[in-house]
Amino acid sequence: MEDLCNSSIKFFSDQQIRFADILLPHEVQARIQVAVLNFLKVLSAPHPAISNLPLVNRKSSNSRVSEGILTDVSSTFLSHSFCTRSLMRANAAKAFIRVWKVMEKCLEIVIQEKRVTQRELFYKLLCESPDYFSSQLQVNRTIQDVVALLRCSRYSLGIMASSRGLVAGRILLQEPNQEAVDCSACGSSGYAISGDLNLLESLIMKTDARYIIVVEKHAIFQRLAEDHVFNQIPSILLTAKGYPDIATRFLLHRMSRAFPELPIIALVDWNPAGLGILCSFKFGSIGMGLEAHRYACNVKWVGLRGDDLQLIPQVCLAPLKPRDLQIATSLFSSAILQDNYRHELELMVQSGQRADLEALYSHGYDYLGVSLISIALSSLLHKAGEQDIIRGRHFSSAICR
Amino acid sequence: MTRTQDISIETVSFRSVINGSVVATLKIAFEVSDTGTGSCLEEFQDLKYNREGIGTEKWDGLLSIKTTVALKYVFPFLTPLMPCTQRSNASFERISLSADCLLFSLLFSSPLTESAHLLVLQMLILMIPCVAAELVIKQEDSPGLLCENIFLPNECNPLNFSSSNVERLKSGLEEYVLKHGNILNNKCDSCFCSRKQLKISSGVACSMESQRGPGLIVETVIAISELAESPCFRSCRNKTEVLHFKDFSPCSIPVASLSALTSIDWRSYGLTLRGGVDQVDHALIEWESLPPDLRIDMAIHCYRKCKHQPDRHLIKKAVKLALDDFKGKYTGFLLSAHAVKVCSYAPDLASSIAGIILSSNDSEFQSKCASLLGLMQPQEIGRQTVEDRIKGMIITVIETNDRKPEKIKEAAPLLFEDDHPQDPEPTPYSEDYEGGDDVFSFSE
Repeated sequence: MEDLCNSSIKFFSDQQIRFADILLPHEVQARIQVAVLNFLKVLSAPHPAISNLPLVNRKSSNSRVSEGILTDVSSTFLSHSFCTRSLMRANAAKAFIRVWKVMEKCLEIVIQEKRVTQRELFYKLLCESPDYFSSQLQVNRTIQDVVALLRCSRYSLGIMASSRGLVAGRILLQEPNQEAVDCSACGSSGYAISGDLNLLESLIMKTDARYIIVVEKHAIFQRLAEDHVFNQIPSILLTAKGYPDIATRFLLHRMSRAFPELPIIALVDWNPAGLGILCSFKFGSIGMGLEAHRYACNVKWVGLRGDDLQLIPQVCLAPLKPRDLQIATSLFSSAILQDNYRHELELMVQSGQRADLEALYSHGYDYLGVSLISIALSSLLHKAGEQDIIRGRHFSSAICR
Repeated sequence: MTRTQDISIETVSFRSVINGSVVATLKIAFEVSDTGTGSCLEEFQDLKYNREGIGTEKWDGLLSIKTTVALKYVFPFLTPLMPCTQRSNASFERISLSADCLLFSLLFSSPLTESAHLLVLQMLILMIPCVAAELVIKQEDSPGLLCENIFLPNECNPLNFSSSNVERLKSGLEEYVLKHGNILNNKCDSCFCSRKQLKISSGVACSMESQRGPGLIVETVIAISELAESPCFRSCRNKTEVLHFKDFSPCSIPVASLSALTSIDWRSYGLTLRGGVDQVDHALIEWESLPPDLRIDMAIHCYRKCKHQPDRHLIKKAVKLALDDFKGKYTGFLLSAHAVKVCSYAPDLASSIAGIILSSNDSEFQSKCASLLGLMQPQEIGRQTVEDRIKGMIITVIETNDRKPEKIKEAAPLLFEDDHPQDPEPTPYSEDYEGGDDVFSFSE
């Protein structure tokens, strides 16, 4: 009866979701040990065989959209489709063995209750098994295979990814038993976000900001930090210097839960890559689809938008690169891309052009800051309906000249 | 020719001498029968077998065999083997006397050649029951017979007359290889300390009788010798002599056979063909990188009651059946290139799994693993033993799988079963996707 109740509580769509659990070290150890026992049971059976490894499929075709019912947060997650790695496919045998080798290393790490970075793990594997591991990318992908096989988060395996994220602005961050760090006094380099999720989880945060501004590029982050824009409009600046790593997303998500009244606005370049970065912050990713959906946030796309192109001199527009078109194709195929984003993407592709945020500097180095202030004031006055964009509150409407 | 109970059986060493030079030396052991008295093989089984060399006088003679019954078959193959000289009128005649007895005679009117030598030795491979030969050496310009002998070729032959042709062919090829082409009287002890060094398999393919013609039977026997230190075979081990027989007699290899051999997927048996060449009396197949201690011999026999043309597809089928029979009988032999490659990964996989077992601090887990591996506690026996056991089990699975035909190979089970299995068949992981340009995917 209890099982029936439990199963009936889950909606059908929830049964389709595959996710990576956040586990304690002894729980991860148990899963690795079960993997070995299962393998040996089949290997020693009357009709012995070498088991294949089922990995949750990390492809668009296996991604689904979860739309928040009571929240305005949507996320992308992975469904039940899976692929297999097999020893018996001679050309793919090395990938099969790589998974076991990383599991072997993960067991050592969790037993010792240590944490290692992906970089450290790469060098260890490179030295011990040079025939199998030749690049950091290969190690990272194998780690994702282990996550997909054991269905536990990368962090649970004791593996950290270095973070590229930075925070600046009106927030105090305090690690346990440490002095609080005032991120408005960190200068243009900001506060470096740690790759250790436990540490980020333990941070004590205090703020008097009114906005969280997510910035795609480090250069824009530095410009805004140098100009102390976060003092002119009380805000927190955050960047991942490109596609966001899990730690940066984790911290942003924590901030959004801790300070739910703070709208999160994004400043990205007007090109498919910029939109892709925005979507990563907003919905999660497929590459880490088993865990990334946890950190989806309601991020609003403020700039650059198509309407802002009128502010940009023609000479500052650049042609789209082949990689931009590849990303656009990927985005188009995604179920989660909402209509207005899709429309913007179509505009990008049709125009064949892209525009960087820096192009706004043609109006002066403080233009960006001034525009942000205008948007903020407009928003306060009009209390704009908080759909996925601040309607009409984009840069072009902020022209006061 | 007269026969008595105490007639001696001798090994004759023939040396054909021309102008003082030895052209060829032939050692033949023949079983003899005739019509009437002494027509059954059993009559000669009690005869003693002695060795005696003939005189070393210089002779240059006509070797002729008497026939007693009118000819029924003439085998044309002998003609091209014999040198075309003034005195060459060789023929090889087989006469079927009765269901139990077959007499063939060799008539040489020119000096014995190496080819004829080999031809006769190859005949022995067939181990045809009741095959009889009368070998008489006669010098052309001398009256009477120079030599007249009766021989028992295989006094220890365990086969009885009811054995099938393919069994005889197997036995014959085995003897042929052990005696280095039937040149020796007994197995070469220098090369073969044990008969187990020689492994034999066979395959038989038949085509049914149809409007197009009578049915054809193709038998193939493959012999693989493990000759780690063989003083007799220091070269040419990467070549295989393919002996071809048609209707119970040796023949040169037909084009269909050579074509069939070169069209086989040898890589699925761990072999790579360099080329095939039609020699005078056999085909020679050359291999790429055959292990140095292996030697392969092969015999193909096509026969039918009526005249026929060799069938390429049937020959290919028979050879493949023999190869599959070999794989099925002898573990680890003729592994496909794919299986060899997969086996090469077994040590590393075993090492990882052994590493997980031994680095765990969970003794219950280690006990369970030891039990599944049929070992004592892993910590007590050491990592190498655990690794070797796992490696052996993995290789066994790979080899067993390799022997199965593709269509009956089962899909391997999954390491973990999903709670809600939705997919009818999981797909192999596509190597060209690695989280590159898919939406929202990035390397972290």
